[in-house]
Formats: sequence, structure tokens, C-alpha cells
Amino acid sequence: MFDTSRLTRFLPPRMQSQIDAYFEAMEVLFSVKDPKVLGALGPSSVRGLLLHRGKQGTPTNMPATHTAHFDWSYPNDQPEMADLYRRAKVGQWNGDDLPWHTSVDPLDPERPLIPEEFLCFEDIEALGIKLDKKERAELGYSMCAWMLSQFLHGEQGALFAAAQVTEAVQFFDGKLYGATQVMDEGRHVEVFNRYLDTKLNKLYQINDNLFVIIDSLMTDGRWDMKFLGMQIMVEGLALGAFSTLYKQTKEPLLKEVLKMVIQDEARHVHYGVCALREHFTKHITERERQEREDWSFEVALLMRNRFAAYEVYEEWFEGRMTRAEWRNVVNRSQGMNEFRTVMFSRLVPNLREIGLLSPRIMPRYEEVGLMRYFGGLAADKLTADKLLSDLH
Amino acid sequence: MELDKARHERERENDARRGSGPAALLPATIVVRLEALVRDVRTVLSDFTGARPAPYAIRAPLARHLLTVTPEPSAGITPRRLRVTRVERETKDAVSLTLTDPEGRRISFVPGQFFTVLVTLASGEVLRRAYSISSLPDEDGAAAEVTITIKRMPGGRASNHLNERVAEGALLDVLGPSGSFTVTPDPAARRHLVLIAGGSGITPLASITRTTLAREPGSRVSLVYGNRGEADIIFRDALGSLARAHADRFTLRHVLSDPPAGFTGRTGLLDRDNVTRELDAIAASSGLEADAAAYFVCGPEPMMVAVREALLARGVDPARIHEERFSAPARRTTPALPTTSAPVEIRLRGRTKTVSAAPGQTLLEAGLAASLPMPFSCTMGGCGVCKVKLLSGNVTSEEPNCLHEEERSQGFVLACVSRAEAPCAVEVP
Repeated sequence: MFDTSRLTRFLPPRMQSQIDAYFEAMEVLFSVKDPKVLGALGPSSVRGLLLHRGKQGTPTNMPATHTAHFDWSYPNDQPEMADLYRRAKVGQWNGDDLPWHTSVDPLDPERPLIPEEFLCFEDIEALGIKLDKKERAELGYSMCAWMLSQFLHGEQGALFAAAQVTEAVQFFDGKLYGATQVMDEGRHVEVFNRYLDTKLNKLYQINDNLFVIIDSLMTDGRWDMKFLGMQIMVEGLALGAFSTLYKQTKEPLLKEVLKMVIQDEARHVHYGVCALREHFTKHITERERQEREDWSFEVALLMRNRFAAYEVYEEWFEGRMTRAEWRNVVNRSQGMNEFRTVMFSRLVPNLREIGLLSPRIMPRYEEVGLMRYFGGLAADKLTADKLLSDLH
Repeated sequence: MELDKARHERERENDARRGSGPAALLPATIVVRLEALVRDVRTVLSDFTGARPAPYAIRAPLARHLLTVTPEPSAGITPRRLRVTRVERETKDAVSLTLTDPEGRRISFVPGQFFTVLVTLASGEVLRRAYSISSLPDEDGAAAEVTITIKRMPGGRASNHLNERVAEGALLDVLGPSGSFTVTPDPAARRHLVLIAGGSGITPLASITRTTLAREPGSRVSLVYGNRGEADIIFRDALGSLARAHADRFTLRHVLSDPPAGFTGRTGLLDRDNVTRELDAIAASSGLEADAAAYFVCGPEPMMVAVREALLARGVDPARIHEERFSAPARRTTPALPTTSAPVEIRLRGRTKTVSAAPGQTLLEAGLAASLPMPFSCTMGGCGVCKVKLLSGNVTSEEPNCLHEEERSQGFVLACVSRAEAPCAVEVP
């Protein structure tokens, strides 16, 4: 991406970062080729990237435009979802039962929250910033608290989206299953909030890009877009992020929290695949399918490139390096690479399975290096055990 | 918290604006939109001026996170083994034992809770006794060490054993912590707690006092503490230092029945009259109204009765009176144990299972032996977690126990101290 700092060097650091942020936002919008996709993402982008609605220090109201779908005949219409519902009921767990008595020291070198090599300190040093051992540990603490804060904000979005989807979906077995997902998401909010408040004592603001995705799918009236956004894209992102952190953290309580959450997430993505495969392959026109195909490609890119922990940059490095330099540091870091690999190795096969990765769009995925994940297993073939064992 | 503060300020601004000025004339929906617009414009401007808020907020545990003591489901009544790491003599008749987990696990508890200690006598006999925790948990609701305080009872086998025989390094088997005589600390709370203790009844109240003063900067604590003589006052120095350190929000009032020369506090027993006068004195110094506080009462039975009468006479809502009773098991009526086994039908979460209770086995033991996940905690009739509803048949229960009159009249019994006399059916609520 264009490094605006060459033009804006003479400005104060915060203003420089702001101009970089605007350029980045414009780049997102200009890269969208389909006008309908732009129509769906544009207003959310303005609210998130320009107006920082998630950071105004006040609750955010997002109007909902979907229709609640009632069925007074209670059909047993989707056996696969009925089976998921049965499994979800048995799979419920109590957040209180996690080992909360564990003492967590965020700077403990014996049990680091994230490994030291998560960020590449050589890259930071190359910019003339030398961090001593203590500062490195503190930066690791900030990165971990930032990630968990974004998980928490994402789970709040997932909680409300799961509730909306439960209202809007047309499959009755899907509604029953959806109720369990609402409970799951509530529990995820509970455990991440509790971990942050009682163990890390720090909560970061919501990342603007995450806000855009949540805003876009909460305000979209089409149930299948909510599904696609929440069950496939955000859940896929979450699964990638949870799995990466689960694999890398040495903090036993966090590992346990993530393990329990991952087991629920596996069901959520499976449900998304079941519901959308049926819908996208049988019930919509080719034009509508293409729009969804483009939308998911754009969101996948947004997720790949834009979660650059700018909130940590503002806390640590504003004025010491440019925003673009920080972006490079993060994007090249081992932790982020790992995260992208896990995320896309789950996401791409799911998009293929629901019919949103047709030969028409393949060249664009190829161009950004994502086609190598095409042959993986989709969520309906993956069990929670397989998901976790892959991480060892 | 910064966000909360911002919200409160905004609400104040809104209230002020609605009260007067041109905004009061506009429909509410337009005002809301205008405010959103102002916020948006302000956000964009501050992006350029660099006046952005900090990207993170410092957080502390919320009350919601600490109200979480769920008894662990387990196949049997398995105690937990803790190591005594410190023995401190509080008075000639009371000792404090500081306990830690030998494997370094921290211990979760809510101030006011107790452990059921399994005391093994030289003869091999195992006694169960409840002892309250007197220390305070860390901010996240757990602590690496907890202190229980044991007062010697005349002729009490367990309390004498713990006072005389237990040394540093000893291992104690405990169940719990249990009990709902608790105050969950809430840093945002602004409340007045009135605590009334007699003798060893101070232990749970000491934990509540310490925690409330440390974690609730906006709350007040008033403690009335009755003893015989000055030498009987448990935690005398510790309470005195707290009173000096928090003079503006901790009132400590000693009442002694056998006071030394020069004692300036009230003398006599904590009977109804003295309690009333103490409450009057607290009300006078703190501006306390009858219903302005929660009351926590723990001490000998005659004191408990007197305090209750005094509070009700002042018009205190019974829901605000919290009481902790530790019936001395030595004085319990031990009913003649049934000599035959009886079938017990147990309904739990919509399922029914019939188990056979061996002679002398409690309903709880019989249920757990059949792998039913029955809830329980203290196993000695003190916490109420194991209460079940008796649907048919007869049981004998050890008395007194912690069930309220209302629960008894609804047919509840405590599974841990009740035994089937004849075939019976119970339901776990």
C-alpha cells in the first residue's frame, strides 16, 4: 500500500497517522469492484473508519432491518441441523467451571501469554527502536490484551447476530439450533470479559475494521448475508484467531478458555455451511450468487490485511514509527502469518462448499495467494477433536 | 472507568439540556440525532487535533465475575487437602490457621464463606465442623492463602484439637468453601453495612470488613462486637488498625460484659436493649435510616434472637437481615438411626432414579453413591446447598440445621443430615 508518510512528514505524528488511516480506508472502498457490494459495505465503512462509532465512548445503536420468520407448523425440515441441535445441547458447559483460581501474571517469562517471536523485534529494531526485555514482555501483554479485546467485541457481535439469524432463518430446525448458539455466544462474552477484567485488567477499544464488518451484517436485512457474514466469515476469522492463540499461549487458564470456546465454534461454522449450501445452490439467482461471492472475497481481504492492531500502535509507537511501518511489522510477524494460515485453511474450503468459490472468482483468490487452501476439509466434515488435534 | 465516566457526564449533560434551552422544544428523536451528529463531528475533528481518547481502558473485576461459587459436581464427597502454613494465637482460646494448597492452586471464595473441616481425632474418629474464613480474597476472587479462626468450645473435641494439636506443616481435609452469608465486593457500590458479632461470630464478619474496606472505596462499615472481657476480643489489634486507617468510613464499637477499668464502650450483653442503643449510636453518627443498610449478624443464639427483635422493632425489612448460625454439633439432637435400608426415589433434572439407602446412610450419600450429580457443599447442615423436597415418605433429620421456617413448611429437608426411615421420594430443586 501507498506509504503516505513521504508526503506528510512535516505534520505532527498523530495527524500523519490519521492521513494514513484515511488513505487506507479509501483504498478499501476503491478496491471494491461490484457496486452492490460497495453499497453494502460503504455506509458501514464510513461509520467505522471515518466516524469511529465504536470508539466514541458511548453505546452504539444499530438499527435492524431483517424480518422475523414465524412458522406455525413446526416442521422437522433439516435433519442435519436437528442433529447439530442435539449435539449442541449436550455440549453446553459452564463458564464458572474453568480454573479461575489460576493466578495470571501477564509478564511472567515462564508462562508467556504469547511467545516472544509473535512479533519480530528485529523489524522493530531496524526502525531504530530498541526494546529491552521488560518492554518486550509488556508489548506482548498489550498485543494479547488487544487480541482478546477484539475477540470479546467480536463475540458481542456474534451474540446479537446469532439472535437475529435465529429470528430470520426459514428452517425450523435451524431456529432451535440457533437458540443454542445464542447461549454459546453469551458464554463466550462472559469468559472473555471475565478473563480481561480479572486477569489482564485491560480492555482495548474495538478495531475499526471489525466494527465495519459487524455493522455491515447487523444492518443488512437479508438473512443469508447475515449468515454469510457471521457464520462463515466472522466465525472463520474467530476460529483462526482462537486456534492460533490456543496453540501459542503458555498461560494455562487462557488455554483452557480457548479450548472450550473452539469446541463451540466448530459447531457454529458447520451450521453456516449446512444452511448456506442449500440456499446458495438452490434458491438464489446467479446474479445474487455472484454478489455474495464478491462480497465474501472483499471481506476475506479486509480480514487478511486490516487487523493490524493499530490500537497497540497508538499506545506504543505513535511518533516513533509511521503507521505504515507498523503495518509492515505486524503483517510480516510470525504470529500474524500463523493466524492467516489457520484462518484461510478453514475459510476457503467452506466458501467452496457453499458455492461461493466458482471458477469465475478463482483468479482473484489466486492473485492474492489464497487458492492454495482450496482442497481442505469444509466445516461439515470437521469435528471439534480434529480441530484441536490439528493444533498440537 | 473512563467509559462509565463519559456516560455519566453525558447523561448529566442531557438532563441539563432537557431541562432548559432550545433543545427542550425539539422532539426527542431529533435531539438524539443531533447529539449523534455532534459526537461524529467531534470525533472527526479530534482525529486531526490529535485529541483521541486512549485506545484502552484499565479494568477491574466486576461483582458479576466474583459471584461464581458453584459446588463442583463430583462422584462422592471428596475433601480437599490443604497445608497449614502459619499458626497464630489470637486469644488464649482462639487460634488462626493459615492454609494453602500444597499444589499451589489458589482458593476461590466469597467473603463470609466457611470451610467444613474434617478433624481426625487420635482415636481415628472424624468430626466435621464449620469454620469461617477471616482473611480477604485478592481482587479476582481467589487467594493463595486463606485463614480460618477457631475458638475453643468448652468440651469441644474438634475445637480443642485444632487449638492444641495443629502445627505448621500439618495437613487438613476440608470441604467447601460454602455458605451464602456473603458480601460480594463491588468496587462501584456505595453502601453501609452494619455488622453485629458476638465472640467467634467475628470470623466471617472480619473477612467482610477487610474486603469491603479494601475493595469498596465508597462504602461504610459499622461493626458492633460483643465479648466477655478485653482479652477475649479476637482480632483486637487488626480491627483497631483498620478503624484508625479508615476512620471516615469504619466505625468499630466494642461491647463488653466484663469490662476492665477505664473501658469507655458499652457494657453488658448484646441483648435487645443494648443492641437498640448501639444501633441508635450508629444512626446518630452516620445518619443511618432504618432501611438504609444491609445487616449481617453472627454470634451465639441468644444474641441472634435479640438482634433480630431489635432490628424488626426498628422497622428493618427482614430481607436486609442476614444471619449465620453455627449450631454446635455436640448439642444436636442425634435421632436414632434407622436400622434397615430403604428405597429412595430421587428426581433430578427431569429424571427419576430409585436408589437404596443403607442403614445410617444420608440421602446425599445414597444419591452420590448411585452416581447422581446431587448438589452439596458443607455436608453438615450448614449451607443449604443440598436441600431437597420431600414428596412422600418420612425422613429423620439432625437438628438444628440451617433451613428456614419457610423452607421447612414447604417440605424441604437437607439431604446431608437426613436419613430415610421408610421408602420415600425426594426432588432436587
